[in-house]
Amino acid sequence: MGRLKQKGKAGAAKAYITRSSAVKKLQCSLADFRRLCILKGIFPREPRNRKRANKGSSAPTSFYYAKDIAYLAHEPVLKKLREHKTFAKKLSRAIGRGEWSSAKSLEENKPVYRLDHIIKERYPTFIDAVRDIDDALCMIFLFASLPADGKIATSLIENCSRLASEWQLYVMHTHALRKIFLSIKGVYYQAEIMDQTVTWLVPYQFTQNIPADVDVRVMLTFLELYQTLLGFVFFKLYTDAGLVYPPPRDSEKDETGAGVGAFRLQEATSSQHINGLKTKEVEVNGKRVSSKEVRQTIKSISTGESGDGDIDMLDADPTAAEDDEEFVPQPSAANPEEAAALPTLKTLAALPQSGSSKLFAPYTFWLSRETSRPIFEFIVRSFGGRLGWPESSGSGSPFDETDESITHVIIDRPLVKRPNETRAERERRARRKCVQPQWVVDCINAGRILLEEPYMQGKILPPHLSPFGDRADAYDPTVGLQGQEHDMEDEEEEAEEVGAEDGDVGEGEEQQAVKPEQAALKAAAEAEDEAALRAAELEAEAAGVDYGTFEKEARKAQKKSKKATAQEEGEGKGEGEMNKMMMSKRQRKLYERMKHGEKKRATERENLEEKRRAIEKENRRRAKS
Amino acid sequence: MAAADSKRKTNKRKAVEEEAPAPAPSVFSHDVGLEMHSEDEGGDADSEGAEDDGEVDEWPEIDTRSDSEGEDSGNAEASEDEEEIEGEEDEDDEDDEDGDEDSESEANTEDDELHVFPKAKTVISDITGQPKRVYPEIEPEYDSDSSTEDTPNRVGNIPMHWYDDLPHVGYDINGKKVLRPARGDELDKFLETVEDPTAWTSAFDKKAQMDKPLTPEELDLIRRLRENEVPDANYDPYEPTVEWFTGKGKEEIMPLSAAPEPKRRWVPSKWEKQKVMKIVRAIRQGRIVPNKPKTASTQSQFYAIWNEEPSNQPAPLPAPKPRLPTHAESYNPPEEYLPTEEERKKWEETDKEDRERDFLPQKHSALRLVPAYGQFIQERFSRQLDLYLAPRIQRVRLQIDPNSLIPKLPSPSSLKPFPVYKALQVPHDRQRVRALGVSPDGAWAVTGDESGIVRLWEVLVGREVKRWTFPGRIGAVEWCPRTDVCFFAVGVEEQLKFIIPPNLPAAVLTATQSVLSPAQLPPPPATPSPVKWVSTAAAASTSDSTILTVDLPTSSGLPKQIVWHRKGDYLATVSGTEGQGGVWIHQLSRRHSQAPFKKVKGSVQQVLFHPTKPYFFVATQRYVRMYNLAEQKLLKTLTPGCRWISSMDVHPSGDHLIVGSYDRKLCWFDLELSDRPYKILRYHTRALRSVHFHPTYPLFASSSDDGTIQVFHARVYNDLMTNPLIVPLKILRGHAVRDGLGVLHVRWCARQPWLVSAGADGEVAVWCS
Repeated sequence: MGRLKQKGKAGAAKAYITRSSAVKKLQCSLADFRRLCILKGIFPREPRNRKRANKGSSAPTSFYYAKDIAYLAHEPVLKKLREHKTFAKKLSRAIGRGEWSSAKSLEENKPVYRLDHIIKERYPTFIDAVRDIDDALCMIFLFASLPADGKIATSLIENCSRLASEWQLYVMHTHALRKIFLSIKGVYYQAEIMDQTVTWLVPYQFTQNIPADVDVRVMLTFLELYQTLLGFVFFKLYTDAGLVYPPPRDSEKDETGAGVGAFRLQEATSSQHINGLKTKEVEVNGKRVSSKEVRQTIKSISTGESGDGDIDMLDADPTAAEDDEEFVPQPSAANPEEAAALPTLKTLAALPQSGSSKLFAPYTFWLSRETSRPIFEFIVRSFGGRLGWPESSGSGSPFDETDESITHVIIDRPLVKRPNETRAERERRARRKCVQPQWVVDCINAGRILLEEPYMQGKILPPHLSPFGDRADAYDPTVGLQGQEHDMEDEEEEAEEVGAEDGDVGEGEEQQAVKPEQAALKAAAEAEDEAALRAAELEAEAAGVDYGTFEKEARKAQKKSKKATAQEEGEGKGEGEMNKMMMSKRQRKLYERMKHGEKKRATERENLEEKRRAIEKENRRRAKS
Repeated sequence: MAAADSKRKTNKRKAVEEEAPAPAPSVFSHDVGLEMHSEDEGGDADSEGAEDDGEVDEWPEIDTRSDSEGEDSGNAEASEDEEEIEGEEDEDDEDDEDGDEDSESEANTEDDELHVFPKAKTVISDITGQPKRVYPEIEPEYDSDSSTEDTPNRVGNIPMHWYDDLPHVGYDINGKKVLRPARGDELDKFLETVEDPTAWTSAFDKKAQMDKPLTPEELDLIRRLRENEVPDANYDPYEPTVEWFTGKGKEEIMPLSAAPEPKRRWVPSKWEKQKVMKIVRAIRQGRIVPNKPKTASTQSQFYAIWNEEPSNQPAPLPAPKPRLPTHAESYNPPEEYLPTEEERKKWEETDKEDRERDFLPQKHSALRLVPAYGQFIQERFSRQLDLYLAPRIQRVRLQIDPNSLIPKLPSPSSLKPFPVYKALQVPHDRQRVRALGVSPDGAWAVTGDESGIVRLWEVLVGREVKRWTFPGRIGAVEWCPRTDVCFFAVGVEEQLKFIIPPNLPAAVLTATQSVLSPAQLPPPPATPSPVKWVSTAAAASTSDSTILTVDLPTSSGLPKQIVWHRKGDYLATVSGTEGQGGVWIHQLSRRHSQAPFKKVKGSVQQVLFHPTKPYFFVATQRYVRMYNLAEQKLLKTLTPGCRWISSMDVHPSGDHLIVGSYDRKLCWFDLELSDRPYKILRYHTRALRSVHFHPTYPLFASSSDDGTIQVFHARVYNDLMTNPLIVPLKILRGHAVRDGLGVLHVRWCARQPWLVSAGADGEVAVWCS
C-alpha cells in the first residue's frame, strides 16, 4: 500500500489558486495585481470542479493557475511596482517635510518599468503579435480621438495619435487595406498584414467623454501595453518595408492640420531625404523604385494582372528587374542577409494583389467639405487614388478644386439648385461625377468600380452591407430577394395548376397514349436528375412541344416530385424520431441543444424574411397607387 | 526630579558627614557601627543627637581632597562601606559650586526661615581659597531629619488601626502606654475648624491620633509640590555650567596613550581611492550618468525584438477576437433589419447583459448624419474586462451535423414483418381488461376483465366462442404452453381455476382431463399444505365449469400473475398480498403447491421461469433476483436502476431480460454481461405496463399508460462479442387512455408476428403485419 493521499495536496487543489491568495502570495495590492495580470496577459481559469479547487468551499471566487502566479512572482515589473511603492512613500514624506530638492531628485529617479520582455514573452513570433493587434489598434484610435484632461495626459493622447498615423501610413504604403464597413459604431477597417487579417474600429470624429462607470486606470494599463506592442510591431513592419521608424514628423504641417500628411516616410537606404513632398510622392505613386517593388511588379506580371495604369510597373527600370531576376536563382552563401531578403513563397503571397489594391489608381478625387477627411484620405490613398481637399479640412492638399484631373467628387449634401453658377463651374460639374461617400466604400468591398448612378448626389442610397458577411445560415439580404420572387411565381402557378387539374382529371390517361408530346412532358415530369431532364427536353423538342410549355411542365413536375420527396423525408423523419430513442442521454442533450440553436437562427431568419416581404408588398402597393 | 534631587542632597550631606572623621579612618567605620548599635539598644536619642550636633558644629573644616587621597591610600574597607563614586562626585560638586555661592544665598534670604533642610554655611576653602558651602552635619544614626523629632509614640510604622479598640495608641520610648488623646465629637471638630485659625494648616497625625499643626517648612514644601516647583527652596535649576575639563588651564598636555599615531590617520586611503576611481571611470565611460536626461528614460526606444530566435515555448493562448459586425450594424442597413416598435420596446426592457445585441439597428440617409456612438468607450472597456477578468477555456467547436448524432439503424422496412395496423377489435363492455392469454398455437385468445367475465375468442376473426362468469375481478389468465393438452388457468380471488375450452378433439380432451383430474390421484404430500386441490371427475366435467380448482391460502388476495413453466407442468402465481403468501409454485402432476420463499425482501411484482434452465426470476419493486431452483440459491441480483418495476420478460434464448417500470424506463439486461442494464430506453411518456418477447420472431413489444404500444426489433447474436441489435420499429396507436390507464397487457401470437393488446378502455385489439 502506498502512502496515504492527503486532501488538498495534489490535483485541482494544487493547480488552482484563488485571487485573494494570489494577491497574498505576491505581497502586492489588488490594483498592482490587476495591473500585472493585464500586462502579462494572465486571466482567470475555470476549474472543472470549483469545490475541489477551493478546498471544499463553493464561495464565488475567481481562480488562477498556481503556475501562472508562480511565474508572476519572478516578474521584474512586480519588483518595479514594489520599488514604486517605496518611492511613493519617500516622495510623499519629502513633500510633507517640504524637502523640495530631495523630492525633485526622487522624482527624477522614479522607477520606470519597461515592457519589452513581456512583449517578447507574450508574442514569441512576430506573427503572434500581428494576430493580436486588433484590440491595440482600436484602443489607440479611440484614445487618439479623446480630449486630454486630468486623468489622461496630453503626451499620451499625442503618442496615440502618432501611433495611429504611423499605422495608417504603413497600411497606405503597402496597400494592405481590404474591407471597410461604415457602421453605426464607427468605421471598421480590415487589412491583411503578413497573411493575418487585422480588423480595427475607428470611432467617428466626435468628442468622446469617458463615462463615469468606466475605470480609466484599467484602460490606461492596457494602453501602456498596447503602445509598447504597437511600437515594436511598427518598428518591425517599417524596417521590413525598408522604411525608417519612427517616420519623422513635420510639426509645422501638423499644426496646420495636415494629419497623416505631417509624417514623411523615409527609405532606410537613402541616406538623406530630399524633401517632404517628394518622399510622399514615393509613397503615393512609387516614383522611386526599390528592388522590392520590382519584385512586386514581376509578380503582377506573372499573375497576368499587368495592371490598369500601374505606374510602378511603367516606371520600373527593366534592366534592374533583370538584374534582380538573375540574382534570384543563385543566392550566395557569402551574403546570407541578401538571401534572407529574397522573396520566399510567403512574402510573395503577402504582397498585395495589385488588382484590387490599386482600385482607384486611375481616378482623382476631391473631398467635399462635409465629408470626413481622415477616413477618406486613408481609404482612397490605400487604394492608390489621388485625393484633394479644401483648405478648411486641413492643409497639405496636393491640388485645389479647379484641378482638371479630378474625376470624382465625394459629396455628402443634398442637391440644391444653383442659379448663379458660372458656365465654367457648370461644365466642371458636369465633367466630374458627384458621388456619395458610400460609393467609395461599396466599390472597395465589391472589389470593382461600381456604377456611380445609384450613388449620385441626392439619390436615396442602396443599403450598405457588411463586407464581413454573416453566419452561413443567416439571412442574406442579397439573395433573399430572388428566392422570394420564385415563391411568388410558384404561388401563381399553383393557382393555375389547381384550375387546370380540375378540368382534365380522368382524360389525361387516355390522351397521353395518343399524343407524343404528352409522353415527352410526362418524361420530363418524371425526370429526376439533370441528365434525365435534358433527355426529356430533347424528346419534347422532337415531339414539337414549344419550350415555354415544356419548361412550365417540367417545373410543375419537379415541384410534384419535390413534394413527394418531402413526404418521403417526412417518413424518414419519423424514422429518425424513432431512432432518437436509441441515443444516449448525453447525445440527446447535445442534439437538442444543437437543434435549439438551429431553430433559433431559423426563426430569426424567418422573422427578417417576413419583414422584408411585408416591406416589399408595401412598396409594390405604393408603386401601383 | 525634585525628590531625587533632595535625595541626592541628603546623600551629599551624609557623605560630607561621613568623610568628616577622616583623620581616623580605621576607627570611623567602627565608630559608626558602634553608635548605631548603642542607639538600638536604647540610648537616649535626643541627648545623643544634641551631642552629635554640637560635635559637628565644632568640627574643623577638613580638606576633602586630601581626605579622599588619604582614603585612597589608607583603608580600603572604609571606601567599601560608602558609595565611593557618589562620594567623589559629591566632593567635586562641593568644590566647584563654591563660586556662585554668594549670590544664591542672597537670593534665598527670604526663604531662610522656611528651610526644611539644614542651612548651608559659606566658608572660604583653605586649599583653593574659594568660598564654599558647607552643610551642617547630620546625626549619623538616622537618615532623615525626622529622627530628631520628639515623637512619644514609638510603635513604628505599623497600621494604626491595630490600636483602634484600645485605650492607648502605642508606647513611648520607655515602654509606657501613650494614651489616646481625647477627641471631641463632630461638632467639636467643626467648632475647632472655625475657631482655630491654624486649623487649616494642621493635619491628622496617625501616630499621635490627633491634629498636629504643620510647620512652616512643611507648608512651604507642600506649596512647592503643588506648584510643581523644586521642593528644595535652595535648589537652583538654572545654575551656570561649570566647565570641568575644558577651558583655560585645563588643557591636557600629556597624551593618554603612549602609542604612536597610526598611519591611517594622515595617509589618504588607497581603498577609497580605488572606489572613487571606479566611479570616475564609470562616469567617463558614460556608464553612470550623473543627471540622467529625462527623455531617454521615458521615451522607449524600439528595436527589432523579434530578430533573435523565438523560444520554443508555445505562445500563450491568443484572446478570442470579437465578432465581426453584421449587416444589422450598418449605418444604412436594409430596411428589414430595423426593429419594429415592439422589438424596440423589448430590447429596451431587457437588461443590458441579457440583450442579444448591444445596439439597435438604425438607418441614416447619409453618412454625415451618423451621430457618435454613445456606448463606444463602454464597449471597449467591457472588452478589456473580458480580456483580463473572464475565464477562458479552449473549446473544440463541434462541426457536426446534429442529425449525425442520431444512431444509424437499419430501416424498419427491411425488418419486416412486424405488426403495423389494427386488424380487429373485440369490445369488452367498457370494462378494463387486465388479463390476457393466447393459446400456444396462436389461434385462440382468452381475456378476463374486471367484472369477472372470461371470454374465449378466435384471434383470426375476433368471434367470441364462450364466456365464463366469475365473482369478482379476474387477476390473470394464462394458457398452458403444452400442445398435447389444451386448457387455461384463471386467477380469481384466492383461487386458481383450470378450464378446458369447448370443442376440443376427443383425444386432446381426454388427455387434458387426465392431466387435470386423473383417475388416480397422486398421494397427498406428507405435510399438509394450505393449498387445496379440488377437481371434479373427468366424466362430470364440462367446458362450462372448472375442472380443477386450486384454493390458495385464505386472505392471499387476487393472483395478479400466472406464469407457466415451458414444459407446462409447473406454474407460478403471484398474489396481491405482501410477503410470504405471495409467490406459489404449483405442480400439476403431483397436485402439490409450495411456497419457494420463506421470506422475500420487498413486495414481489413479477415472477418468471427461465426458458431452458431451472432458474426463477423474482422482480421486487427495485431489483430482479435470479434463483436457481434446483440448488435453492440466489444466483444474481439485477439492479435496473428504476423505482418500481411493473413487468419483465425473458428472451426465448434465456440470456436476455427486459424489465419495464412505472417510471417510464425499459431496461435491457444481458445476463451474461452485467448486473446493470446494457441499455435503458426511455421513450414512453407514461408508465410501462407490460413487455413481451415474441417466442419465435426477433420482436418485442411494450405497452404503456400513454395508450401506445411500441414494437421493437431485437436481434440477439450467439456471438458473445456482438451486442444485441435493438431497432425501434413501430408505434401502435389506437387504444384510448381512460382514467390514466392505457394499454394494460400485450401478448404475441406464437406463430405469427401478430400482437394482441388489452386496454383499459375495454377494447382488445389484434395488430397484424
